[in-house]
Amino acid sequence: MKVGLWTYFRRTITLAEFEIRKLLHDQTQVWIRVIQPALWLLVFGEAFTKLKAIPTGDYTYLQFMTPGVLAQSVMFVAIFYGITVVWERDLGLLNKLLSTPTPRSAIVIGKALSAGVRGIVQAVAIFVLALIIQVHISFNPLHLLLVLVIVVLLGMFFACLSMCIAALVRTRERVMGIGQAITMPLFFASNAIYPTSILPTWLKALVTVNPLSYVIDALRSLLVTNDFSKLPLDILVIVFATALMVFLASWSFKRIIS
Amino acid sequence: MDNIAVEVKDLVKIYPRVKAVDGISFTIKEGEVFGLLGPNGAGKTTTIRMMLTLIKPNAGSIRVFGINALADPARVRHLAGYVPQDVSVDGELTGWENMLMYAKLYDVPRQSREKLIKEALEYMGLSDRMNDMVNKYSGGMMRRLEIAQTLVNRPRILYLDEPSIGLDPNARRTIWEHIEKLRREFGTTILITTHDMNEADRLCNRIGIIDQGKLVIIGEPAQLKAEIGGDIVSIITPTADCTPKLKELGYSVISEPANGHVDLVMDNGEKQIPNLLDALHTSGVVVESVSLKKPTLDDVFLHFTGARIEQGDSFARARQTRRTFRRLS
Repeated sequence: MKVGLWTYFRRTITLAEFEIRKLLHDQTQVWIRVIQPALWLLVFGEAFTKLKAIPTGDYTYLQFMTPGVLAQSVMFVAIFYGITVVWERDLGLLNKLLSTPTPRSAIVIGKALSAGVRGIVQAVAIFVLALIIQVHISFNPLHLLLVLVIVVLLGMFFACLSMCIAALVRTRERVMGIGQAITMPLFFASNAIYPTSILPTWLKALVTVNPLSYVIDALRSLLVTNDFSKLPLDILVIVFATALMVFLASWSFKRIIS
Repeated sequence: MDNIAVEVKDLVKIYPRVKAVDGISFTIKEGEVFGLLGPNGAGKTTTIRMMLTLIKPNAGSIRVFGINALADPARVRHLAGYVPQDVSVDGELTGWENMLMYAKLYDVPRQSREKLIKEALEYMGLSDRMNDMVNKYSGGMMRRLEIAQTLVNRPRILYLDEPSIGLDPNARRTIWEHIEKLRREFGTTILITTHDMNEADRLCNRIGIIDQGKLVIIGEPAQLKAEIGGDIVSIITPTADCTPKLKELGYSVISEPANGHVDLVMDNGEKQIPNLLDALHTSGVVVESVSLKKPTLDDVFLHFTGARIEQGDSFARARQTRRTFRRLS
C-alpha cells in the first residue's frame, strides 16, 4: 500500500501535535530552558558590551550576540532530543508507534518538527528579553517570520543529529554525554559570540564547516545588520543540512529498537 | 468458520549469538484465541515482532489474512492491533489524547473518531478518567487503555504480548474478562503470548508451547492435558495389602505404597471415585482419605520440555532484565 503524500503529511503533523501537547501539559520545563539564554544576554552580554573587548563594528555587542544566543539556546534543547527517544524505546512506546502504519521517516520528521516548534518558544522568549533590555533588533514581521522558519529548521537539524547519535549509542547516558561533548565546540567554533575575523586560520576553517555559523549568519542579517548578501547561501546550506540529517535519522532509526 | 487468519511457516530469526526463533510454523484460525506459551526468552516476543513486521526474519514466511507480511508490511500493519509487554501509553498525555493520537495514526476518519474513542473508553471502563494524565493511572488502567487504543482501529488481529504481566490479581481478572468479551462480541482473532499457565488455560482455544525458539507442541488445552495421561487419584489407607487388591480390580497403580499412600492414574477421576470407593469397601480395604489431581498446563510443559516454567516474574524485574540486556547488547 502506497502512502499518499497527504496521508504522510497528516501523520507527521499528528506526531508533532502530540509532542507539543506534552509540552503544554508540563510548561515548567519550557520556562527552565529560557534561564540559560537569559543569563547569557543579561550577564555575559551586558558585561562585554561595557568592556568593548570584542570589536563588533557599527553594532553594540549585545546586538551582535543576540542571534548567537538564540541559535545556541535552540541547539542546546534539541541536541538532547535523542534521550527522549531512547526513553520511549525503553518504555515500549516506540515499538507500538512503529507497529502502526506510520512510515519511519514520518515519525522522525514529526518528532524533529516538535523540537523545532520548541525552538520557537526560545525565540519568542529572547525577543521579549531583547525588548526589555532594549537591544535594537529588527521587528519587521517578514524578517521575524523568516527567523522563526530558520529556528524550526535549526531545531530539526539538531534533533535529527541527536536521534542519529541515539541510534548509534542506544543508551540515555551516552546520548547525554556525547551531546554535552559536542555542543560547546560547536558553539565556540562559530560566529555566535565573536566575529570570525579575530580567529586564527585553523579555527576559521572549522567555522566554515559548522552549520551553526550559517544559521547565526542568517539570523544576524535578518535581526541586526539588514545585509542580505550572504542570506541565500546561508539558507541553502541550512535547508540542505537539515534535509540530509532528516534522511540520516530516518535511515538509522530502526537501529534504536533492534 | 475455519478460515485461516495467520499462517506462519518455518520462521527463523538469528541474533549474533543466539537463534531466537528456530523454524517455527503454526496457523491461527479466524476468530480464535491462540496462545504462545513459554518461559522468558523462549522467542515469543521475537515471533510477535516479526508478525507485526517490526523486524525481518532470516528465513520463513508470514501471511496475515492472505497478505504476505514480508512483501507488504504497511497493509499488514493496518489490520493489526498491538499491545506490547512494556508500558506503551504516554504518561505525559491524558487518556483521551492517547486515544486520539492512535486514532489519527490509523487514519480513523474525523467524523467517526470521537464516537469510536468514546465507545472504546466506555467499553474498557475508563470514561470517568479519560481527562486525567495517564501517569496518574494504575497499572491495570494503563493496560485497559492500551487495549482501548487498539479497539479504535477495529483490528482483525490483535497481538497481546504478556497482557497481564505485573498486574495484581484483581486487575488481571478484569483484563481477562475484557479479552474474552472482545472475542465474543467482535470476533477478533487474538494472539497472546504468556508464561502464565492459568492465563493460557483460561483464555486460549489453542496453545503452542514454545521453548528455546522451537514450537514443541500445539493443541487445545484439554487435549494437551489428556496427552500426558489421565487424572491422578491418591488414597491413604491403613490396609497393608491394598495394592494387589487394587490391581486385581483392574486399576493402574503408579506408586509403591509408602505410609499407606497410593497413587492411581485414570481418566475422568471425579466420576470414577465413587465406584472405586465402593469396590474397595467390598474388598475390605479401609480408605482414610481420597484426593484428585487434574494435570495442569504446568505438568504439560514439564512433560514436553523437561523443565518447569519459571513463575512470578514481576513486571519491574522483567523490565530491569530487559534493560540490562539492551545495555549489554
